[in-house]
Amino acid sequence: MKVLETLGLSWRSIAGHKLRSGLTMLGIVIGIAAVIAFVTLGASLQAGIIGDISPDDQRSLYGWAADPDVEAGPGAGGQPIFSQSDLDAVGELEDVEAAYGYAPLQAQTVSSGNETVPQGDGVVASGPSYIGNDNLEAGEQFEMGETQAVLNPAAAGQFEDEVAVGDTITLTLLGGQEIETEVVGITETSEGLSPFEGFESSPRIYVPTDPYYTEQIAGLGAGAGQGDGPSQNGGTNQSGVPGANDSGQSPNASDGGEPSNASVAGQPTNASDAEQPTNASDAGLPVITSNAERYGAASHTDTGGLQTRTLSMQDGANGDSSAESVRFTAIVVEAESSDDAAIEAARDAATNYLESDESDASEFLGDDLVVSLETSTELLQQVQDILNLLQSFIVGIAAISLLVGSIGIANIMLVSVTERTREIGIMKAVGAQNRDVLGLFLMESVILGLVGAVLGTALGFATGYLGAWYIDLPLVYPLEYVALAIVVGVLVGIVSGLYPAWRAARTDPIDALRYE
Amino acid sequence: MSNTGTISEPEIAVSLEDVRKTYQLGEPVHALDGVSLEIPRGSYTAIMGPSGSGKSTLMNLVGCLDTPTAGAVVVDDKDVRDLSSRERTRLRGSEVGFVFQTFNLMPRLNALENVALPQLFQGISRGDRRDRARELLERVGLGDRIDHLPNELSGGQRQRVALARALVNDPAIVLADEPSGNLDTETESQVLDLFAEFHGGGTTMIVVTHERHVAERAERIVHLLDGKIERIEELDGVEEK
Repeated sequence: MKVLETLGLSWRSIAGHKLRSGLTMLGIVIGIAAVIAFVTLGASLQAGIIGDISPDDQRSLYGWAADPDVEAGPGAGGQPIFSQSDLDAVGELEDVEAAYGYAPLQAQTVSSGNETVPQGDGVVASGPSYIGNDNLEAGEQFEMGETQAVLNPAAAGQFEDEVAVGDTITLTLLGGQEIETEVVGITETSEGLSPFEGFESSPRIYVPTDPYYTEQIAGLGAGAGQGDGPSQNGGTNQSGVPGANDSGQSPNASDGGEPSNASVAGQPTNASDAEQPTNASDAGLPVITSNAERYGAASHTDTGGLQTRTLSMQDGANGDSSAESVRFTAIVVEAESSDDAAIEAARDAATNYLESDESDASEFLGDDLVVSLETSTELLQQVQDILNLLQSFIVGIAAISLLVGSIGIANIMLVSVTERTREIGIMKAVGAQNRDVLGLFLMESVILGLVGAVLGTALGFATGYLGAWYIDLPLVYPLEYVALAIVVGVLVGIVSGLYPAWRAARTDPIDALRYE
Repeated sequence: MSNTGTISEPEIAVSLEDVRKTYQLGEPVHALDGVSLEIPRGSYTAIMGPSGSGKSTLMNLVGCLDTPTAGAVVVDDKDVRDLSSRERTRLRGSEVGFVFQTFNLMPRLNALENVALPQLFQGISRGDRRDRARELLERVGLGDRIDHLPNELSGGQRQRVALARALVNDPAIVLADEPSGNLDTETESQVLDLFAEFHGGGTTMIVVTHERHVAERAERIVHLLDGKIERIEELDGVEEK
């Protein structure tokens, strides 16, 4: 008996019991749909994140210095130890294309024309090549030392008259400094450009570290801030008293010479009352832990009233707000190319330099503070690990659903065999071999499993896409899972149908024909 | 059917030699106790007997559904006891056609598919099967009912479909078990007329019945009693044994 003939006969039995067959498939449908939906969502999420790693970004190493025991994500626990001269020196290294600092700025508002919108965070100071050319929708990268900015579409679209390349906006920093800024570029996506930012969509303004980052520090130090803006940290008192930094006191001095603690919890000093954003916890990288720290710091400053933190100045230079004394918490080191070898070379060269005595950063480094330089891809591995864990969990639940589903198929097939004993008898009387009967029933359970798997795949994709669409992720088609789902469906059908089919095949035709 | 009587085929369609069938039901029950019988090719035989006389057992043995405890059942020159289960099934499929009291049609297959079913298991192609089934359905007068499901047919029509199915593989014998038991008088005579017609065409018929007037359509009646042949009645009037 040919497979196609078997298929036709089996299909007819299934179609003869639509409701029963449908309910039987449900377990398989749910199991497969759960896996496919999650895999689709996971793959979309992954693509949404990895899609943000532009080719330029793939050669970037994101660096920070933290306690090696801190394992909380990119930049967590980072300390402001990298000086501009360190970055310049690293940039000069043979295997390094460029090196620049990265710092989220604390701002208040941004204005375009007569319109002013609040822009608390999302102002990122960095080097020009932080914005890769292929990330630009229009315009060009900003230049170091210029009051220029690149906006993402979300930031540009905040205004009724959408900001375009060539417009001038006014950026009001936390300290109160108002900086006339020329918009030189608009990025393609509103999602973050590096793991430091996080990858969610939000309005972001990219500016060069010089002058913005230095200006912010200088501004605070110079008392330019009027304290009239909304507080970034939940009620931090910031009256803009001059000399925020000229306590002349390095935090390591205030806490007993332990530099790694300098800004972790925000050492209170009585000499300054201005919020100092360069602290690790404040200049905080947009990762979960930095929020926690931020709130911790906020409540700390609340209780402390006028107390706040000071900038960690390696040399304790009083009121020195020049670029030389600026310390970065986070840095970006670009390798010559995105080859693994080039990235390794850049990583080794930069690490070696930063750990050597030549660098300013080296004096803080030690067992408690080590430099990490990682690519986006490596950093994303953590996200990936979480996804994988969740995936195993879902697959486990789906496996239970599939098990229940296959028991359901086995059960209904046994009922079906009993119910059709007489038909089996007829077929055997007219010359059906045992293997013909076996094939018919096995085919039936395989069809149940297969159709269940196909329906489950469709349902899973629909659910996954709906989810991906809802949270605005790119749609990804993990097509290999269709094949996998079909194989699983067939296997479930075979496993659960084997015993009932065997029972059917060995039915004695004499008894079967007598069966009422 | 037309080739049923060709010279190359054996003269005897089925022969039983001292066949015994014993069931172990606590104590042994001798369902058949030494039965010898020859069914010539092209003959029309009726088997009569009260309940428990061994009619069904004889049917099962001749139809290759069962094997004897002792003795030999030879169907189409093959000793059933020498065959494997698979070969027995093949022999049954090609050389035996069944007609049952309760019709035993496949409920989800239409008339044409029911008639073609035995050929499906013989591995005959779909097109050939359908041609053959249509031809037979026309011969039993159901050419206009080929698409109907069994539950859309009357009892007599169903039994005619069953007869067409029994004949589809050109079997050595057609075994009918109380073929008119579920039919009214009129349809019964229609079906029995068809039996006679096919017998006239050369088909070997064996009809198991307990009704005298059905048995009298045959050429001879084998009377069974307590697992033994009580007598064989030749309907041209001569009585053997």
